[in-house]
Amino acid sequence: MSAIEIRNLSKSFGLVRAVNDVSFTVEAGSVTGYLGPNGAGKTTTLRSLLGLVTPDTGEALVNGRRYTSLTHPLTEVGAVLEATSFHPGRTARNHLRIMCSAAGLPPGRADEALETVGLADAAGKRVGGFSLGMRQRLALASALLGEPKIFILDEPANGLDPSGIQWLRGFLRHLAHERGAAVLVSSHVLSEVEQTVDNVVIIARGRLVRQGTLAELTQNGDSAVRVRTTADFRPALEAAGARVQEVEPGLLRVYGLDAEAIGQLALDHRVLITEVTQERSDLQQVFLELTEETQATVEGVR
Amino acid sequence: MSNLIKAELQKLFTTRIWWAMLIVMLLLTGLSLFFIIFFAGEPAQNGAPGLPALEDPAWLPIGLSAASSGTIFTMILGVIMMTSEYRYQTVTGTFLTTPQRGRVIAAKLGAGVVVGLLFAVVSLVVVGVVCVIAVLSAGGDIALTGNRVPQIIIGVCASLALYAMFGIGLGALIRNQIAALIGAIVWAYVIESIFAAIPALQVVGKWLPGGGSQALMSIDVDTGLGAPDLLPAWGGALLLAGYAVLFAVVANITTTKRDIT
Repeated sequence: MSAIEIRNLSKSFGLVRAVNDVSFTVEAGSVTGYLGPNGAGKTTTLRSLLGLVTPDTGEALVNGRRYTSLTHPLTEVGAVLEATSFHPGRTARNHLRIMCSAAGLPPGRADEALETVGLADAAGKRVGGFSLGMRQRLALASALLGEPKIFILDEPANGLDPSGIQWLRGFLRHLAHERGAAVLVSSHVLSEVEQTVDNVVIIARGRLVRQGTLAELTQNGDSAVRVRTTADFRPALEAAGARVQEVEPGLLRVYGLDAEAIGQLALDHRVLITEVTQERSDLQQVFLELTEETQATVEGVR
Repeated sequence: MSNLIKAELQKLFTTRIWWAMLIVMLLLTGLSLFFIIFFAGEPAQNGAPGLPALEDPAWLPIGLSAASSGTIFTMILGVIMMTSEYRYQTVTGTFLTTPQRGRVIAAKLGAGVVVGLLFAVVSLVVVGVVCVIAVLSAGGDIALTGNRVPQIIIGVCASLALYAMFGIGLGALIRNQIAALIGAIVWAYVIESIFAAIPALQVVGKWLPGGGSQALMSIDVDTGLGAPDLLPAWGGALLLAGYAVLFAVVANITTTKRDIT
């Protein structure tokens, strides 16, 4: 049984299909990045998983069960959603104590969790005076209260300063790799999670685009070769089966052929090329290509 | 469930609105008590009987019933208990902690009853002390067991507790805090007073929550427009209980199925 399992999940809001037949799993002891541009359906997926949104079809399960059927959810799942969901007039400690009361946890867990996220000094202060980064840490503290083994975080890096992001990366890795937790973290900025995640699930326009380990994704992604030439080399390249993108006049990005094949082709067609560079395909580019492709297909269909 | 009710009470008492509401309630209750003391023994206009004199044993229950003007404040607190969850989006955390939403609503209604009773007790103590001083200084006697005094005390407690529940139900129905507060105030001060004061409308008015709470306390004070037409006291109690159930059901239906986005 997977810690988190999303099976054929679909959800519409009015005419907008927010999530369309999405399936993936997250295993204990790993960090999975849930990536996609804004509005791709990440939040809807995570909220379905947490019982806040009822899916139209499909299932979203934690530990093999629906969230709404859990009797002690805080001890199984820790969630961080928007940074704004606190009453400004209430202190950080009281926020957590209320959650402890409702969940039947000892009230002392509030201060322990605040200590863990580095908010012990602000425990008695009203949340209204907190910075975005402090609110995000408080949200993380609330996720830690019941010492769960599953963490679901929606854009947790929003509002954190660089040192906060650094700390969060280390903390998420610690939770997964040393404490065996299953961590699902969403982001629209790939570089934020690139150094943290073991697995990647990419979603765009409500549809799952790609999933796999970080290594698989960077290897399998089409690597491009930059070709600079003044001649009209494009038809020859395309005849050889390459996909060609014109970056600017005289500069082509060629997919599907390696540098040697392109050199040979240039020789065969007696074309002068002034630059042949193998572009290292980093995840950011794969991410952009994948999401842009889906975007283009969807727009093409319209 | 007691854990959840405790959490709901903590939510209210860890913010500042409750004591502001308590102070305003005591001020307004004090004002209406002042008029009941000031006009005691004065004959009313239009030849109808006015308020009994302070030394008259019939005055004490009327003086105590001033505490029933706290209903609007417990109703407002009830509205706030529900709508501030949506206003500050704390409802997300609440439902993450307790995904069975019906239990959250039940806990809120339970906490509303506790808050209503607490406010009723504070108000009755303050009003009671002032009344006893007023009666004794006018040379009258205090009889706490006779003259419908126990009935008034029960009626004030039940009314304040039930209005807190109405507030929670109203807040679940109208989740916008400002709109729900305006709705509560218009209901209590405009609609209910019209139906309670105009004899021709009392046929309907006696079936409204305000009519029920008046019936429970048997506050048949003549406003100069004729004696009000009210249900018997037990009927008033049943009516209020019925409204509480209705509001609980409304709160439940409007909350359990809705997507929180």
